[in-house]
Parts: sequence; C-alpha cells; structure tokens
Amino acid sequence: MNENGKLDDKTIAAVSSAAIILGALIYYWIGEGQSTVELLELAYGSLKFFNNPLVF
Amino acid sequence: MLGSLFSQYARTLLVAAALLFIVLVEALGMREAVYPSLLPFFTWMRESSWLGVIGTTYGSIYATVEAVHLLSMAVLGGTVLATDLRLLGVIFKDVPSETLVTGTYKCFKIALLMAILTGIFCAAGVGDKVYYMQVFWVKMLALLAASCFMLFIKQPLLTSRPHIEINPWSIRLLAITSILIWFTVAAAGRWIGFS
Repeated sequence: MNENGKLDDKTIAAVSSAAIILGALIYYWIGEGQSTVELLELAYGSLKFFNNPLVF
Repeated sequence: MLGSLFSQYARTLLVAAALLFIVLVEALGMREAVYPSLLPFFTWMRESSWLGVIGTTYGSIYATVEAVHLLSMAVLGGTVLATDLRLLGVIFKDVPSETLVTGTYKCFKIALLMAILTGIFCAAGVGDKVYYMQVFWVKMLALLAASCFMLFIKQPLLTSRPHIEINPWSIRLLAITSILIWFTVAAAGRWIGFS
C-alpha cells in the first residue's frame, strides 16, 4: 500500500499472481490425490490402508 | 491515459497478459500442436548432443552431476524454507525478515542457476524418456512459474519497503505460495526419478 492508502502495482501483482498460482497448485494436488484414491480402489475394490487382505 | 496506466501498473498488466497468454495457448490447442514437434529435439539431446553422449556413456559423470543437481536443489529449498518460514513467523523470530530476504537471495540465485545447468545435463541423458512423462512437464512448468514468481514478483515486493508496511496477509500468501510451488518442483523431480 502506498502513502495514499491505495494498493500499489507491486502488491496487486504479487497478491493476484500468488492467488492464481496457489489455486492452480491446490487444484493439481487435489486431482493427484483423487486419481491415487481411484487407483487404489481399482486395485483393492475399496480403499483400505491398513490390514488389507490383498497386501501380504 | 493508457500510457500512464501502463507505467503505473506495469507489473500487474504483465501478470494479466501472462495469464491471458496461458488461457489462449490452452483454448487454441497450441500446446497439443507444439508437443509432437519437440520429440526430435529430445531424441537429438539423448543420442547426438555431447551432453547426452557423456550422460549415457559415463555413469560416474552422470551420477556426479546429478549429485550436484540434488545439492543445488537442497540449498535452494533451504533458502526458500528459511525465508518463507521466517515470513510466516515460524522460525528465526529474532532475525529481521528483511535481513533474511536479502541475505539468502544471492545464495538462492546461485543455487537456481546450478540446478538448471545440471538439470539440463541430467535431462539430456534420458531425453527420450522424460519427453513422454507428464510429470516432467509439470516440473518444468512449476520451475518456470516458481522462478518468475520469485525473481519478478516476490523479491521486488519484499525488498521495496520495510515488511511492517506490507499487509501481513499478503506476506503470508506469498510465503505459502512460494513453499507450495517449490515443494511441487521438488516432488515432481523425485517423481521423475521413480517413473
């Protein structure tokens, strides 16, 4: 913010680009988590991390 | 009018232009159009360039360069974590955040340069393999975004004035974004190794 209380160029650019990048990264990692869960369900029928009879 | 707007908000307009460019690239299918034409370059890197020949012929040289690559990434990650966790108020609370932001920057730039140079060598050795990996392109995109974010967005703002004059939520947003994007670069890099 500058002395007039208005947001300056550097702050607007930083906040907007950070929000866009953060949103894209969260979207990407949620997608990766979702596909991992789907893969586990495909392999084991249902998601079961512990005491899975198919894992020896 | 337009000239003064551009000079006053040049950085913001460049961010908007970059976003518009990304949207256009996706909407017009330019990424799919360019992707096949890159295969000959990656094949040449692996089979004909001296980088690829050295990387595939001498395992010890490849391992040494990869070790330097990992060390560079470790230093880079260390500077990012030290700076961003200080900005979040988690560590080094007795050190002014301005001191850490300016003090680690030179180290960050050297580590980034070393990581890119050694990374090119490592990628050349397995050029025809990484070309087909989606996670390789995720890493390259994340690296490009992280470098631009650090060099042209985060650092200019944090060195422009004392941090007490910047909105604390803006600083927190910058720090969390920085940590997550460099985490993505590192995780994608390890994912390439296990693919």
